[in-house]
Amino acid sequence: MSSSRFIGRISAFAILVALANFVQAGGNTLVLLDNLAIKETHSIFFKSLQERGHVLTFKSADDASLSLTKYGEYLYEHLIIFAPSVDELGGSLSVEGISEFVDGGGNLLVAASSSSSDLIREIASECGFEVDDDGAAVIDHLNYDVKDAGKHTLVVANPANLIDAPVIVGPKSSTPLLYQGTGLVVDRENPLVLTLLSADSSAYSYNPDNAIGEYPHAVGKNTALIAALQARNNARVVFSGSLYFFSDEAFSSPVQKALDNKKHQVSGNLQVATAISRWVLRESGVLRVKSVAHHKKGEVAPPASYTIMETVVYSIGIEQLDGNKWVPYKANDVQLEFVRIDPFVRTTLNYKQASGLYEVTFKIPDVYGVFQFKVDYNRIGYTRVFSTTQVSVRPLEHTQYERFILSAYPYYSSAFSMMAGVVLLSFIYLHYKEDPKKSKSE
Amino acid sequence: MANLSSVVAKFYNEYTVHTPKKLKIIDSYLLYVLLTGIIQFAYCCLVGTFPFNSFLSGFISTVSCFVLGVCLRLQVNPENKAQFFSVSPERAFADFIFAHVILHLVVMNFIG
Repeated sequence: MSSSRFIGRISAFAILVALANFVQAGGNTLVLLDNLAIKETHSIFFKSLQERGHVLTFKSADDASLSLTKYGEYLYEHLIIFAPSVDELGGSLSVEGISEFVDGGGNLLVAASSSSSDLIREIASECGFEVDDDGAAVIDHLNYDVKDAGKHTLVVANPANLIDAPVIVGPKSSTPLLYQGTGLVVDRENPLVLTLLSADSSAYSYNPDNAIGEYPHAVGKNTALIAALQARNNARVVFSGSLYFFSDEAFSSPVQKALDNKKHQVSGNLQVATAISRWVLRESGVLRVKSVAHHKKGEVAPPASYTIMETVVYSIGIEQLDGNKWVPYKANDVQLEFVRIDPFVRTTLNYKQASGLYEVTFKIPDVYGVFQFKVDYNRIGYTRVFSTTQVSVRPLEHTQYERFILSAYPYYSSAFSMMAGVVLLSFIYLHYKEDPKKSKSE
Repeated sequence: MANLSSVVAKFYNEYTVHTPKKLKIIDSYLLYVLLTGIIQFAYCCLVGTFPFNSFLSGFISTVSCFVLGVCLRLQVNPENKAQFFSVSPERAFADFIFAHVILHLVVMNFIG
């Protein structure tokens, strides 16, 4: 009887472990909303996340029980803030807490609107973006949708203005996108910030109700509509100036420019929003180093140290996350550097189909010291792959130098003649008698 | 010019008459070493420094042989007796041989 209870416990434990694995697959996501109506107006977007295995926890942004951490550990891997007008976050959550969350590797998706609060502005500036002033909206008098209410703020964004990175925004398509919201200005100095979608050259960001008194903050293609940041710890942040972009209405409505007769039955928002959410929730473009190996040519194990001018074989396995499993990542632009402060060798690694590894064979230069095999693969949209392996390269051993070189024979003969000279000298010197005087016998 | 030739002639005479035979033997050895060194250096200038360790050891062995030879000559010269009071000619020659053994060991190690 006790044994059956034991088995029962084990099976319960197994189910728990399986559940935990399932939860881990997508990751916990906290969704903060202005009001729970947004859950309904953006249901297609949230449903697509849930279908991909994400566990969404919906909370009002001013919920008093909000907390990202418990006992010093993060409860959520991802944070979605669809609360453009929230003035103060509830519970223990703060702007510092959110930037710490990103520093800790958490991913962040924020959507603003033309009436964003200072809090959203603060989060944006923490991440390297600027949200335009309160009330400002992106206006485009040439590319606005027929459904526009008259202020020309329901902009038809050209998909050609999407960043050229299929891993973030999905495959290229010609279906235009609907956008209604404020403009973003990205920090040009920040190399980690990417403009995912920019406005057309005829657009600008200003308050549509006011006459233009001063130069708008964002004009033409400098107006970022959606911007992203991949931090140095590979945490991902996407900032959209438009909450409307992710709404059911934008996903399902037809698009037709007011100054154009061409009508698209449905906008491209769903595809782009799905691709962006896949990227920001770390479903696409996630790489890791699986294995690193190096050895002398013709051997299999790495030596304690290499000797100069030896031929070395280096291989690295890079994997990409595909759903729940890691598959080999294929590219033709992965480079290896053999570095001693400066790179002495920089070469492209070749992908080997059979093993799924990148491999290269090269000759160590005629320089000894402590070297590193360094692979630093940094491509837009992909996590940064950085791997270093330290090895020492020693000079030739005394017996490994070339011997009996033809052009050195004069030197050899001179050295030996010096020896012979000494022998000869001592022989003559010792057997020579100074001033042979008359011997006693004479 | 006449002055110079008379100086040389006087020097030669003095050398042949007054220098002991033993020192003359050492002098001829030194001349041989000097010529070998010069030939080697000229060869290196012509051919290049490729087996540089070989050149160095060959050249240094001639230079050192010359230096050791000069030392021996100084110590066994009867005119320098006052300076090398404690060094007998036998002792000087033993030192010379000992230094040569060390020198040639080093040269052989380095010549490659």
